[in-house]
Amino acid sequence: MMRMKCRRYLRLYRVIISQFFKIILQSRVDFFMGLFGFFFSQILGIAFLYLVFEQIPSLQGWTLDQLIFIYGFAQIPRGIDHLFTDNIWMVAWRFVVNGEFDRYMLRPMNILFQIISEKLQPDALGELLVGILLVTRSMIKGIVITDALHTVLFFVSILAGALIYTSIKTFFAALAFWLKVSGPFLQVAYETANFAKYPTEIYAKGIRFMITWVIPFAFVAYLPASFFLKAGGSPVVIGMECGIAAVFCCIAYFVFERGTHVYESAGN
Amino acid sequence: MKRRIKAYLPFTINELKRQMAYKGAFYLFILVKMFGAFINYYLWMAIYGSTNQNTLGGLTQGEMVIYIFMAYLTGTIVTVSVSNWVSEDVVQGTVAMNLIKPIDYRMSLISRASGDMIYQFLVPSVFIWIGLEIYRAAVPGLPPFSAEKVLFYLVSTVLSFLIYVLFDFCFGMIAFFTTYIFGLMMVKQALIAFLTGQLIPISFFPEAVQRVFDFLPFSSMVYTPVMIYLGKYTGNKLFFMLLRQAAWVVLLYLFGSLIWRKVTKRLVILGG
Repeated sequence: MMRMKCRRYLRLYRVIISQFFKIILQSRVDFFMGLFGFFFSQILGIAFLYLVFEQIPSLQGWTLDQLIFIYGFAQIPRGIDHLFTDNIWMVAWRFVVNGEFDRYMLRPMNILFQIISEKLQPDALGELLVGILLVTRSMIKGIVITDALHTVLFFVSILAGALIYTSIKTFFAALAFWLKVSGPFLQVAYETANFAKYPTEIYAKGIRFMITWVIPFAFVAYLPASFFLKAGGSPVVIGMECGIAAVFCCIAYFVFERGTHVYESAGN
Repeated sequence: MKRRIKAYLPFTINELKRQMAYKGAFYLFILVKMFGAFINYYLWMAIYGSTNQNTLGGLTQGEMVIYIFMAYLTGTIVTVSVSNWVSEDVVQGTVAMNLIKPIDYRMSLISRASGDMIYQFLVPSVFIWIGLEIYRAAVPGLPPFSAEKVLFYLVSTVLSFLIYVLFDFCFGMIAFFTTYIFGLMMVKQALIAFLTGQLIPISFFPEAVQRVFDFLPFSSMVYTPVMIYLGKYTGNKLFFMLLRQAAWVVLLYLFGSLIWRKVTKRLVILGG
């Protein structure tokens, strides 16, 4: 029974996604411009680091190469989440307040699945590209540990990180069921992730606490990234990342599920 | 002249009212933008903590604090995204309505942007500014408050605003050629933050690059007013900088008129 359900959903996902690829092929220029946009803005972030390191040898013990790895590593979970679940933003901005959410309620499919599968965001490939390039660069430079354990945990960490992103997005988007529009809140939460692009030690205690435990983006970027650098870190960090991902996932889904029950159509 | 002001003033006032209406969302956006300033602040503090030098790129740590927040503040006041409005008007076809009205489309956009600018100045900027002045008074070694500098800063900021809006109008013309300018807008935003000095003072760039920037309008948008505020430009240099800003206003205005004429000639609108 469960297996059949899974297979049905997989098949549905394939059908929906293949429709989506047709749309991309129709507007290739848009596709490349979006990709380029994200790629380019990430590259400028790196250029900024280069300029700064013209002036200083290291930043609180971190070298330029290490910071570039952290920066690049942070882009990968962000990019994965951005690629697959971008449509969640629409719940926060439009679907609930315009009553467009009706159509998801009517179909005999999991609602969150419908929303997520409706769209792939090709712009995200720009972020992924930057992330992969910078991580590869760090590997060539030999500053990351690449034994079997670290390699496996690398992929685990990326998946868990993407899940944390998705959960935070779902949670704040679900607030729209009560507030009608929750876009600004989601935006604030999402942008918090930018703090974790740099070592969290540079921030004041309050901010550090917030990005580690309240909106745990430090567990998506800086903390796991520093584990992969030669710092002799403990794999417990990745374990905690997975734990946080699981907990946040459950909370977000619960709140979303609750929200669909209080949803009222805009009526027309 | 009086008639012209009467015709365009409503655009300014409407925009002000619109901003007032969406206060909640507005404050949250301010918060999001402030994040950037705070990340920058902590990053720079760590950078100054990692060096023995007193000044980096010609700025002391105290001056850098002022620089970061003034650059943020100036950036918010100045960068009103006119190209967003242009692309909306083009996609929805309402730009046609603007062509048949007896007003200048660009002037109406600038007036509307002024409303935005005034609001951004009144609501968050003034408070940040007051905070900075207190900081300036509390930290020794910083130049004292001077009404003259503030005055020149304000003049320079208004020029910056005009440069940005006129530039962004030209940028918005791209909307006539492609409907999806989101990607390009991201590029523009990132470039503006980088080249105007919002992210990092221009003095951190290599000499050769700085020479190139002298011939681009970007450093006139944020870097110049903030440096004036910090008292880095005085005497002839100050007037030269203001003159350069004025020259950019004129140049971009003429350039905008040119493309606008070209673009409206080939404009096709669906339906009537």
